[in-house]
Amino acid sequence: MTVPTPRHGPAPPPMADSPLFPLGARFAPPSGNYRWVEPWGAPLRVMHWVAALAILVLIVTGFYIGRPYFMTTGAPPQYLMGYIRLIHYVAAGVFVMTGLVRVYWLFAGNQFERLPALFPIRKRDWVNLVTQVKYYLMIHPERAPHYIGHNPLQQLSYTTTYVVSIVVMFTGFAMYGQAAPGGFFYTITQPLTLAVGGIQVVRLVHHLCVWWFIIFPIMHIYLVIRKEVTERGGGLSGIINGGHYIRADKQYVDE
Amino acid sequence: MFFPTQFPWAKDQSLGEHLEASGVSRRDFLEFCGQMAVLLGLTEMAAPRVAAALEGVKRPVVIWIQLQECTGCVESILRSADPSIGELILNIVSLDYSHTLMAASGTAAEAALASSMKANMGEYLLVVTGSVPLAEGGIYTTMGGRTAKDVLVEAAAGAKAVFAVGACAHWGSVQAAKPNPTGAVGVAEIIKDKPIVHLTGCPPIAETITATFVHYLTFGALPELDSDGRPLFAYGARIHDQCPRRANFDAGQYVEVFDDDAARKGWCLYKVGCKGPATFSPCPIFMWNMKTSWPIGAGHPCIGCTERNFWDTMTPFYNRLPNVAGLGIEQTADTIGAALAAGALAGVAAHAAATTVHQIRSHRKAAAAEGAHDGQD
Ligand code: SF4
Ligand code: SF4
Repeated sequence: MTVPTPRHGPAPPPMADSPLFPLGARFAPPSGNYRWVEPWGAPLRVMHWVAALAILVLIVTGFYIGRPYFMTTGAPPQYLMGYIRLIHYVAAGVFVMTGLVRVYWLFAGNQFERLPALFPIRKRDWVNLVTQVKYYLMIHPERAPHYIGHNPLQQLSYTTTYVVSIVVMFTGFAMYGQAAPGGFFYTITQPLTLAVGGIQVVRLVHHLCVWWFIIFPIMHIYLVIRKEVTERGGGLSGIINGGHYIRADKQYVDE
Repeated sequence: MFFPTQFPWAKDQSLGEHLEASGVSRRDFLEFCGQMAVLLGLTEMAAPRVAAALEGVKRPVVIWIQLQECTGCVESILRSADPSIGELILNIVSLDYSHTLMAASGTAAEAALASSMKANMGEYLLVVTGSVPLAEGGIYTTMGGRTAKDVLVEAAAGAKAVFAVGACAHWGSVQAAKPNPTGAVGVAEIIKDKPIVHLTGCPPIAETITATFVHYLTFGALPELDSDGRPLFAYGARIHDQCPRRANFDAGQYVEVFDDDAARKGWCLYKVGCKGPATFSPCPIFMWNMKTSWPIGAGHPCIGCTERNFWDTMTPFYNRLPNVAGLGIEQTADTIGAALAAGALAGVAAHAAATTVHQIRSHRKAAAAEGAHDGQD
């Protein structure tokens, strides 16, 4: 299989490049010496936003299921918890689908999206990881390693998010499967459930994982906006239209 | 041996003959068989076949050993169902040895055990209640100077099948809760080469045990087991999926504190820590004390006593989730998560402020440099 390479070069002819989300391409390039790159393929972008929405729905409904914070008072027939659980399960299904798309795209995506891009595997990445941390800690706020795709710190935190996603899905399925012993979900999850000490442990892990999906977006959204404000390349719109501008006078580690 | 009966079940008598001799009516017997068939998940159509098989059964030899335990399991069995059927059950389970219930004691009791085991080598049914303490050579429970482990290994050697009754025999129960000072383990940790059925619970419901006996006597085999060694007919579904309060759960109607209006209305006990969603047990169906009631029926949340490790994982009993261990003070997942999230927010805010300061400074520097440059021109 040939690896589709990301486009980069001068500013694109407006509109033509991102048929899926032409919005971002309308932005004029920032003044100064910039060039255009397109690191994020359409499946990745769709997956990102669908997953984000699914996670939001899962968090809101999940907190209700864990601790029902409002109640119905009238006589049955009512079905509040029932509907909320239904929404939770549907959103969970959507979330799992986005995961499958991501797994497919680990093998079919471009160099910034493929499996190796998930991990800081080269020595230079570990060196840059330290530089990146020092940059964020403002020890040397002028000197960040430049990546077109994800820098090592992003790799680590995003890959952690994937791992947590797998754990949260698996623990979710384990609890879901309890209603139908001997069924598919029960059978695939039960050995691990017993190995970790029972379904209550699974439940606790599920709850703890959720907090990653609250804490990670706080930092993620902040850092993305920060990058946008300090570098003005349109990176924020890159996850919508697939491309953004980067400074043409810098060297990029992962080019 | 439970109650000294006028009509002991003689060794070579079949159960049918025995019942006739003890004056149990055929009608009562068939009713009992029907109940057992239903408990076992068979149709009532199977009742005549169960009856036919049971009638021909010869008295089984049952040896009951009690290891590290509280005798609660024996108590539970003594209180099984209504008297006529209870008597029937107790007669089926004519015990050759049970140190709590037998009249003999001391050396005589031990001699009875030894002789019964020898005479029925490879044939008897072994019932075990209680866990096996392994720490410090097993000194925490000894009988006649021998450790629980030795007694168990010896008794199991000649057993045809083992009934591990109660949470203690299943995985150790309360004495195996962290930090498990006596090193208590369940029967299956020691006995690996015999068919074992786990009738778990703290204590288990008597009818679960009776029905398993009936299954064993009728079919000559243990019933089908789940992934944790428990018979599926009893432990095949969650409390939560059989609970009469489930309609309130689905409707979003919960007890908040034990004496509120919702509690009086009999709403779902989820918010006061019910572990029904995590617990496989027949309580809602079999119920307790001659079907009088059961915990949730009486307004108390399920504590999950049929599940492995429940003293550690189902506690606090009045919270839905276990605390997060290892932090010195006990904390819930949500407190920890909320604290971390607040920390992340604060960190982000501080970082944004620092970034702004830095941006302003570097802009000024750039402007100053430009100004100097302009000046040179
Ligand atoms: S399982 Fe519970 S009731 Fe039975 S002996 Fe052990 S502690 Fe007692
Ligand atoms: S009382 Fe417990 S078992 Fe019954 S519906 Fe509520 S949570 Fe489930």
